Amino acid sequence: MKTSTLTQAICLTALIGVLQGCVTAKVDEMTYNPPEAGVGASSVVLLGRRHASNYDTERDFVQCVRNHIQGKDNTIEIVEESQFLDALYPWFEPRTAPMHPGAIRELLAQPAVASKIQSLDTQYMIWIDGNTERTDASGSMTCGVGPTGAGCFGFGTWSDESNYEAVIWDFSNQAEVGRINTTTSGQSYMPAVVVPIPIIAPVKGTACDGIGEQLLQFLSAKY
Amino acid sequence: MLGLTITDKQYSSLRATALGLCLLLLSACGANQVIVDSQFPQPALDPIPVTMGVYFSEDFKTHTFVDEPEAETERGWIVETGAAQISLWQTILNAMFEQVVYLEQAPSTETPSAQVQSVLIPTVSDLQYAIPAHTNTKVFELWLKYDIALTNSTGDPLAQWSMTAYGKTPEAFMQSNQDAVGAAAIVALRDAGANFAVNFPKVPAVSEWLKQADHGTSLREDAP
Repeated sequence: MKTSTLTQAICLTALIGVLQGCVTAKVDEMTYNPPEAGVGASSVVLLGRRHASNYDTERDFVQCVRNHIQGKDNTIEIVEESQFLDALYPWFEPRTAPMHPGAIRELLAQPAVASKIQSLDTQYMIWIDGNTERTDASGSMTCGVGPTGAGCFGFGTWSDESNYEAVIWDFSNQAEVGRINTTTSGQSYMPAVVVPIPIIAPVKGTACDGIGEQLLQFLSAKY
Repeated sequence: MLGLTITDKQYSSLRATALGLCLLLLSACGANQVIVDSQFPQPALDPIPVTMGVYFSEDFKTHTFVDEPEAETERGWIVETGAAQISLWQTILNAMFEQVVYLEQAPSTETPSAQVQSVLIPTVSDLQYAIPAHTNTKVFELWLKYDIALTNSTGDPLAQWSMTAYGKTPEAFMQSNQDAVGAAAIVALRDAGANFAVNFPKVPAVSEWLKQADHGTSLREDAP
């Protein structure tokens, strides 16, 4: 009896782990002059754009892309976003961040900025712009607790859509050398008959993997 | 006697518990209090070669925004930004100017500050905030408006302008409204520092004064 309960619990956990909503992803890439031997000892910085009034590029998305790249090639040194923003304060705040690579020349004309960038040895600056938003949600679910136990009944569904663009700037040439765009969308479901079973579509995670993989191919000598 | 001591102890602990409960209830009914306190990064700025006096008024040093609730069911807000304002402005100004002198009194003909070329006086003229409950968005926002005055060492105005700053932070799991408003205030203060540092030399009257100050410095340096 105990074994049967345990098996049921394991099966349920495995089912929840395996069940995932479907995601549609599209990645467009356009890069020029990728470093033939990788970035070597130089560093790269990934920054989120946060100047728009209606959205911010999520910090956790930038971190996810960073983890994806470093997880597959740990020789690529990626400067932590907050470390870079603090080191170059106030020049990369939402209000003051350069919007085109030509503005880097103006920044480097200032000795204080030039020395900070030199100490970080940054070769590529990658701007990530976009966000994930819930586009639709419907359904209802009721949960209750009684003397005999607790449970939920109902059905919920929602859809998410991600749209991100990564723009690669070459610091030494002060030029744009690549642009990667990803659009993903997916539908998640949550049926509940006593126990709610979430079937989540990893929309943001897929977008992160899509951009991360393309950036990895650009930056790494191994891929 | 022993029985009386135990009763006293019980009474004391009962009183302490009752007091604790009352405080808990009062805090639940009181305003949302946010004390903004943060260290700001050392700016990457090339200092302007002037000796700048800075006067922070008592209102500025202890700046507190109080928003009374509109309905009895709502909770008001108290946002204390004074300490963070001082921390930000000192960090920015020390990096922006070659020398900074913090003045105890506002400059006037009675109390001129001979050792400085001019005096900067920032004041917070407005603070506004928005929380998801007000806007139906998933963002906490905070706006700051400053009035900034540049005077000569005797308090005569050289320039006067307004400056705004904006900060927002998204709603986060397990984050209280107070923490979120505090985080938005820190973003707004960083923005204020960035706005001031980048735009100070572009204010027409300031630009004119900087040219004169530079000319004066050159003349002093050229003098035998």
